[in-house]
Amino acid sequence: MDNVSLLNSRQKSTRIAATVFLSPVILLMLIYIIYPIFSTFEISLNEWNGISANKVFVGLENWKTLVKDEVFWKAFLNNIILMVCSILLQMPLAVALATFLDAGGKKVNIYKVAWFLPLLMSSVAIGFLFSYALATTGGIVTTISQAFGGGKVDLLGRAPQALYAVIFVVAWQYTPFYMIYFLAGYSNISIDIYEATIIDGATRGQYFRHVALPLLRPVIYTACILSLIGSLKYFDLIYVMTGGGPGTATDLMATYMYKMSFKTFRMGYGSTVAAGMFVLVTGIALVIQRLLKVRDSVDG
Amino acid sequence: MRLTKVFSLLLAIVMVLALVAGCGEKVAPAADPKTPAKTEEPAPKKDDAAPVESTVTEDGKLKAPDKDMKIVLWDIATAEPAVTIQPAAVERFKAAYPNIEVDNTHIQNDTYKEKLVIAMSSGQCPDMYIHWTGGPMNEYIDSGFGVPITDLMENYCDVPFLEAALAQCTYKGDIYAVPYGGLSGSGVYYNKKIFTELGLSVPQTIGELEAACETLKSNGYIPFALANQSKWTGSMYFMYLATRFGGVDEFNKAVAGTGSFESEAFEFAGNKIQEWVRAGYFPEGVNSLSPDDGQDRQLMYTEEAAMMLHGTWQSGAMKGDNEEWYLDSIDYFAFPKLEGSTANQNIVVGTSVGNAFSFNTGDDEDLRRACFVLATQFYNDDTYNQMQIESGGLPSIEGMGDTLTDTTMQKVWADFSSATNVQLWYDQYLPPEVSEVHKSTSQEIFGLTKTPAEANKELQAALEKYLAK
Amino acid sequence: MDKYVKEKIKSRAAWAVAFILASVWFLATVLPFIYMVMNSFKGQFEMLKKGVFQLPDSWYPANYIDVLQKGISSYFIHSVIVLVISLAILLSITACASYPLSRMRFKLRNAVYALIVAGMSIPIHVTLIPIFKMSTKLGVYDSIWALIGPYVTFTIPISCYILTSFMATIPKEVEESAEIDGCNKFRNFFSIILPLSKSGLSTLAIYNGVSIWNEFSFANTLTQSKRAKTLPLAIQSFQGEYTMNIPVIMAVLVLTVLPMIALFIVLQDKLVKGLMAGAVKG
Repeated sequence: MDNVSLLNSRQKSTRIAATVFLSPVILLMLIYIIYPIFSTFEISLNEWNGISANKVFVGLENWKTLVKDEVFWKAFLNNIILMVCSILLQMPLAVALATFLDAGGKKVNIYKVAWFLPLLMSSVAIGFLFSYALATTGGIVTTISQAFGGGKVDLLGRAPQALYAVIFVVAWQYTPFYMIYFLAGYSNISIDIYEATIIDGATRGQYFRHVALPLLRPVIYTACILSLIGSLKYFDLIYVMTGGGPGTATDLMATYMYKMSFKTFRMGYGSTVAAGMFVLVTGIALVIQRLLKVRDSVDG
Repeated sequence: MRLTKVFSLLLAIVMVLALVAGCGEKVAPAADPKTPAKTEEPAPKKDDAAPVESTVTEDGKLKAPDKDMKIVLWDIATAEPAVTIQPAAVERFKAAYPNIEVDNTHIQNDTYKEKLVIAMSSGQCPDMYIHWTGGPMNEYIDSGFGVPITDLMENYCDVPFLEAALAQCTYKGDIYAVPYGGLSGSGVYYNKKIFTELGLSVPQTIGELEAACETLKSNGYIPFALANQSKWTGSMYFMYLATRFGGVDEFNKAVAGTGSFESEAFEFAGNKIQEWVRAGYFPEGVNSLSPDDGQDRQLMYTEEAAMMLHGTWQSGAMKGDNEEWYLDSIDYFAFPKLEGSTANQNIVVGTSVGNAFSFNTGDDEDLRRACFVLATQFYNDDTYNQMQIESGGLPSIEGMGDTLTDTTMQKVWADFSSATNVQLWYDQYLPPEVSEVHKSTSQEIFGLTKTPAEANKELQAALEKYLAK
Repeated sequence: MDKYVKEKIKSRAAWAVAFILASVWFLATVLPFIYMVMNSFKGQFEMLKKGVFQLPDSWYPANYIDVLQKGISSYFIHSVIVLVISLAILLSITACASYPLSRMRFKLRNAVYALIVAGMSIPIHVTLIPIFKMSTKLGVYDSIWALIGPYVTFTIPISCYILTSFMATIPKEVEESAEIDGCNKFRNFFSIILPLSKSGLSTLAIYNGVSIWNEFSFANTLTQSKRAKTLPLAIQSFQGEYTMNIPVIMAVLVLTVLPMIALFIVLQDKLVKGLMAGAVKG
């Protein structure tokens, strides 16, 4: 009896604490996120130009169009490509950079600041500089290709290389974020563990493989989920650097949605694209997260 | 793991709620203060508009009301030269009518349309706002965000706007907008020093143009500086070639549904472009070059390229970058004629109306009159027009050509005056969703990723889908 | 002995290779930045004619004078206020929320987690119209206060996500021993968990600070006059309908980025201090 009531009162205090701690966040998210999601789903059931007072309720008509919309699924595929490449490029690179910074300590601070710069630059500047750097004539890749006796390389004007070219620029821009994140992960590994490992005669490489990497794993998984979601709803540099072109070859779900909603007066359908995108992104994120957790139970 | 379940449950709830809300909403349409039912409002009848109380006019000139009021005005005058010229007109108006407050917001062009859509959808549409006529204007008016001003135009406007300009501001028989941004055409800017060096003369026909391109190419020059990442830049070649082949009618018929984008003229345009692409008349990687980053003008400035088919605003832009170089090196000719074509060969691709104002004043007659006075007597007055011309603009008003000093602008004006017709930019005229498709397919023609037949078929399909609605 | 020497050489060699690779990446990240700075000192014609990747003819700061005369300082002040308030709110409520999510078991935990993932997945462009409507109704439209709500909320999901996984790595025993000593959840949070989360919080401050500082869409939608505009909108004074002055825009962007670099240098020091915190807890 006593034990049960102790447990009960403990659960009760946990509930109270959880409610108090969580309420500001939940309140804000209800206002700014749940309400727009709800209104997006609602608009997706209408034929609406986005400005007129009369919406025409069409039920699931837009959704039927979406399921058959080749451009949308092409865009979705582009998002998947972006997602896979981003994770494969950014995660290993970021781990390597963070490991270097962690091992180097204060001596390599200058690298830390320099490596962080891409994240600070605005998409406008990045779009501008890279459209020159990747130009068919005089661009970096063309220059290298010509040095080896190759021809000019049109990176941004042709599919599919335009997509891959932008993927590299995106990786360049976002790797610093994961680098900082992993660095914080490193800082959470106690120095004692490091010292104990080294005293046991392990090399740095062994320490990294057998001690640091396993301890970093939850952080890396979280980073993968973040990168996954970020890639699936990505917009910026594609919009700036290719505008979805040539044709619609590099459109992403978000750029397609934007064009529908704000450029072509098809807000109803644009909202359907947005809602469809939301369902896909959330669904994929939850499934992948579940798969990762099955393999790894560190995260409570 | 229950996360996925929780999510699907939430999703289902949202969908159901949305469906319910959607059904319910049909009964009671959202009541935005200014917007509803305005479309049904009959235009103030033209016949009873003529004799007005004497307070309205002064020496036959329309006056803005003397009561206190406020005009919310949105324009895109963020940068030079517009930012000097346009707010000055508003200042003159405020000086003449101290009782009227003007809340003038300047919004950057690239984000303007998005901001306007957001404002309109939230019932916050400004009283007076800029647009580019064409498809979007029709959309705004159909949605109830513009009042007709035919009566005021006919009775109280002393500005002799070009016939074509007013036609462009007309929708379903009524005038809905006042032009103010000047007209713009398009033509070929060329480097006269390179032409002289190679002994080339200004090509009169497309055959001569191609011959010139060959000469330029064999001397190591890129014939055309084109940056087609933005898509509409390459569209100019498509429009000119189609128009030279089939005249304006070809396009008009296609849009009206009586003709087709799959007709010979558009086929010819597509084929010609691909022929030129294959012959190397355009820079390599043409679809990757961005006009926003200046990559087309760069080819002119480095003198790697000899010609650039572009909008006539480029005179002002190049002059702004380096006036000395511009006057030294650059001249302009109209797009050459097509030999053997029976179509009108003097058509200019462009617009008689760069920017126009529409008025979202609802039933407020005083407000409508105040906006109209501001748009016709302060924008479009002598001071305004003079400033516009000095900065490389061309007001859409008769007789403006006489005051021009810039030779390029004189040529543009002459083209416009002698042109029996103006072919409107497709992307400005077409309904926006069709326009997006046109820009895409035109870019794919340049990329050789679609045959002209495929591209035109896609465009035609998009148009038919739109017309079917 | 031999083995030790061998290891030493191997490790030297490894370091050498690492430094070379690190320097390559150093160039890749620094050069674009340098080009941005270089182009901000050119005239538009010079930049296009000579090429984007050439040194400017002279380092005359005309563009910067132009920018400063356009009154960039008010944009700057708005950005600073928005950033400071948003970050302060964000970090405190995120820390609060991540604590129960990472270290307590309660019924709705999964639902809240799903909400957070959903919050990360929402494309921001669909929220523009609803949030615009809300801001006009609340009367905060066209003031910097309109920005704080969205800025905080749209950085919450990712921040909670990161901090939750971060807090989850703090060993359970630390808290349990305190609980036996009679600490309640609130005391636990403030005296144990929060100090141990410092390096996580500074990561969040850095990342969210940068994204709030550079945020464009909400700023563009929710403000319209100079009394509310933030730095990312400052470049608009140099973008016309048909032309834009790229070098001046670069000058604006350079001025925008400098405070962030300073902030990073200060905060990354916190990251190192976080390392010390990790040492204590072991």
